[in-house]
Order: sequence, then structure tokens, then C-alpha cells
Amino acid sequence: MIKIESLTVQFGGVRPLDALDGEFRAPICGLIGPNGAGKTTLLNVLSGFVTPAKGAVHLDSVALRRLSPPRRVAAGLRRTFQQELVVDELSARENIQAIADHISASRRDAEEEIERALIFVELKGRENVLGRSLNLYERRMIEIGKTLIGKPKAILLDEPGAGLNDTETDRLRRILLQIPERFGAQLILIDHDADLIASVCVETMVLDFGKLLAFGPTRAVLDDPVVRRAYLGTA
Amino acid sequence: MTEIGKTATLPLAARPMGGVTPTLRVVSMVGVIAIISGIIAITSGGYWLSNFTQAYCMCLTLLGCALLYGQLGLVSLCQWALVGVGGWISLRVYHYIHPPFFITILAGGVGASAIGMIWGLPALRMRGLYLALVTLMLAGAFQVAITVTSFPVGGPGFLGQVGASGNDRVMMARPVFASSDTGYFLFVAFVTLLCFLLIELHRRTKPGRAWALIRKSEQMAMASGVKVVFYKAWAFALAGFIAGVAGALLAGLFGQLDASAFAPTDSIMIFIGMLLGGPNVWLGSFLGGLLTRFIPALLIDFNVNANVSLLFFGAALMQALTVAPEGIGGQLTGLAERIFNKFSARRAS
Repeated sequence: MIKIESLTVQFGGVRPLDALDGEFRAPICGLIGPNGAGKTTLLNVLSGFVTPAKGAVHLDSVALRRLSPPRRVAAGLRRTFQQELVVDELSARENIQAIADHISASRRDAEEEIERALIFVELKGRENVLGRSLNLYERRMIEIGKTLIGKPKAILLDEPGAGLNDTETDRLRRILLQIPERFGAQLILIDHDADLIASVCVETMVLDFGKLLAFGPTRAVLDDPVVRRAYLGTA
Repeated sequence: MTEIGKTATLPLAARPMGGVTPTLRVVSMVGVIAIISGIIAITSGGYWLSNFTQAYCMCLTLLGCALLYGQLGLVSLCQWALVGVGGWISLRVYHYIHPPFFITILAGGVGASAIGMIWGLPALRMRGLYLALVTLMLAGAFQVAITVTSFPVGGPGFLGQVGASGNDRVMMARPVFASSDTGYFLFVAFVTLLCFLLIELHRRTKPGRAWALIRKSEQMAMASGVKVVFYKAWAFALAGFIAGVAGALLAGLFGQLDASAFAPTDSIMIFIGMLLGGPNVWLGSFLGGLLTRFIPALLIDFNVNANVSLLFFGAALMQALTVAPEGIGGQLTGLAERIFNKFSARRAS
């Protein structure tokens, strides 16, 4: 469970996040908003890449603010990035192994976790293919596979469906829905695909210019006229 | 609706590294270095043997440079100065306690590794041009220091200098089993092979994977639990160790070292040689090192000024950067893997 308290980020005269409060309680939560709303900034604060001017963030009972990014990973926080970052020169397995090297309790645990992740993201049989030879969907799956290593508590996914076609998005949806139950991790999902958010997320937070616009059950949030005007462009 | 896997699909291959397993890669490394070294040992003597021994030391220097650039994208222009540091420490240790030659080499490697890491630490948060400039200035600082103090030659005190006549100089002895030029060359080839294997081991295991993540994106590496500063420092230390070993081997070749041989511009030449050879494959460092030493030696043999080699390297660098960024070693490795793939596919069918 991720809790945000009075979170403010200041870049010179710009406030990408302004006194943001909220508590992600549902197993899968959405985070939406127009471009520049502060979604990725919030993920960067949670992962430790941006230091907030004020406020606090908690993962379960752990205060994250003073932890370095690797220590946040050790605390159970995982994330993917907007731009997929699979290493071309490493195989699918090695890409996942690269995180297991630093997180898994032992080599045996690492092997089991890698195997489990590869099977879960349906890359078994493709594990020895180099990153450079994988298609976009497979690369996205490697990124998700990496987040499943080492007993994750919360996984932040920054636009995992970007660039995927309808069939691939359906498959991604099926995989995302299984993560909380199979791996015991909470998902925080940023995506511009409102259908994906509606079909996967139980709760959704909407940001606009760094401020909280709405937060609650996804269907109700997406039907809110204020949200529709600000985010979807329709009333 | 489109099929899964049809978005921006790159050409698929079952094993794009050509089915070349790590074991096969190590076997090919041992085979190539052993065969080339054997041919040199049998066919060369005097001038050429000395040049090839120096070329192998150059290969080691390029190997460290390629480790930093190929694995982490870091441009270090102080590798040749670290060779000098390794040479200084090994000469100092030799003249002080006369240990077995292997200990002298290890002392040079460990000392240069420590200095390399200390030099690298402030620069660890830098990349690209800034890191290149900082490391080049360190190389310049080393040249100033070594020109003033010179290398130890068995005299008294910490600096180990002798009188102006230099008649009391003590030369560093080679190991008993490698006292001849050919024997010493083969010994250097053996140590070179060990260093190449050490780097290959790193590339294929946990540090190599961590370096690959760092090179791709430092933020992504941190989000994968990688301690970025630690692994960068590790790479600097390893590259420094290899350079220090090269310095100790050079000291063993000549028995002493000359301060004028460690100009900062040589570190730039090493970087160019590394780019020509190819930063991502072991063969690149090996061929790059041989070329960097072989071309000037060939010119001298034909009574041509060795500086003419700069023209060759300049033209070759332009060619490499525009049409073959993987370098000569990368191209040859790619060719060998394609041939291996074809044979494997034919045998399988």
C-alpha cells in the first residue's frame, strides 16, 4: 500500500506536484491525467529520483523519503519506465537475471524467480534470444518480468501498453490482472489508454497540473464530468 | 486487429550471438592468442620481438579502456598514465624487497587499481566529455610528477634515484624461466591471456550485467537495485589493475622505465586504437593493441618517421566511426559467428 502525504515538488518556479495527498489501497490502481499532469514525477518521487520539497511517501509502513533508489528496491518497490529499457546485448533471461543478481536472497532463489517470471510473462522458450532481437511486446514483457523478481510489494508501471496493438494490449491486460494474486504485489499503472485503465484498475487517481483532480473507484472517476473535461476532452 | 509480436518487430533469431556459447568464446580466445603468440615467438627476434611484447602490453591497456567504454560508456583518457603508475610501483617493490616476479606484477596491478579508483572516484558522477577531460588532466598531472621524480632505479630513499651519471642503476630482472626475449614474450602472452579471461569472466557474470544496465540507463539500473557508484568504481579498479599489470610487464621488458614514454597524448592514441579494434569484443582490444604498436614499429623499420602513423590512425578512425563502429574486431567476430551459424544450421538439417 502506497501512501502520499502533502507531497510537493518544486523545480524552480514550476510545481509539478502540489500538496498531493492520497492512499493507494486497491490491488491495481490507475494514475491518469493529461500530459504534464505530474504522473511520471510522482513515480520518480516514489522511486527516489526526485526529492520532494515537502511531504512524505510510505510503502506499507516504510517511510521512503530518506532511502536511496536501490534501498527502495530492497524495500519491495519496483518500476518500469515510459521508454522501454531492455539491454540489447543481454538475452531475455540475462535482462531479468540482472535485477535478480541484486535482489534475490540466494542464487537458488534467483533461478526459481527468473524461471517463474519467464513463464508468467510467457517468454519461456525465448529466454536465450538477445534483447535486440525481441519485438516491442516481448521487450515490454521483459520489463514486467523484471519487476516480479524478489517478492515485490508495489510495482509502478509507466505506460506499459504504449505502442502495443489491440491483441497485445489484451494479453497485457490479462497478465496485469493476475499479478496481485500471483505475486502479492500492488500495481500502480500509468497509461493513456482509458479502456486499459477502466478494465484493470479498481481505483484511479487523476492529476491535473500537479493537483489531485479526482480519486476513487475507476468507473466513477472516468464518468466524472470534471475528469472527462480535463483528461478525456469531453464533458 | 494485428497479431502479437508484429509491432516494430526486429529480425528474429534463435540465438543471434550465433549459437556461440561462453565456453566456445573462451576456447576461441585461448586458441587465437596462443596461435598468434606461437607464430610471433617462432618467426620474430630482436627488434620485432621487443615490439610485439610492447604491443601485448598495449593490448592490456586497450582492454581496460574498452572495459570502461564498451561496458559503461565511460571515456577514460588516463589509462596510459596508469600503466606508468603500475610500472613505478612494480619497480619500487622490486628494488625494495626483490620479490618473485609474479608478486611484482600483482603489486603493480593492485597499486594502479587503487590509484585508478581514487582518480576515478570524483569522476564517477561524470560522463562523456567532462570525464574525458578530467582523466586527461590526471594523465597530464602524472606526466609532470613522473618527469620530476622519474622511475625508481634502485637508489636510496622512497624515490630510489641514483647520481647524475646513472652508473649505479639497477635493472629489474626478468623471471628465471623467462629470461630470454622469446621466453619473456611468451610469459607476457600468458599473462595477457589471463587478463583477457578475467575481463571475459566479469562480462559474463553479475558485474557485467550490472554494467550493461548502467550503460543503458543509470536510473533504470538504480531501479533494478544496482549500486551504480560501486559498480563504476569496480570497473575503474579493474581497468586500473589491468593497466598496472601492463606497466609491470613493460618494466620487466626493459628493466627500467623512462618518464618521457608516458605522455598524456598516448592515452588518446590508446582510445583511438580501442575504437579501431572495437570496444565490445575481446578481439577488438587484442587487434587494436597490436595495430597501435605494430604500425609505428613498421614505419621505423622502413626508416619512416613513426609520427606518420598518426595519419593512418586518423583516416582509420574516420572510416571506423562512419562505416564500422563495431571496429575491426567486431567485424571479424560477426563474420566468424555468421560462418559458425551457417555450419551449425547445415549440420542440424
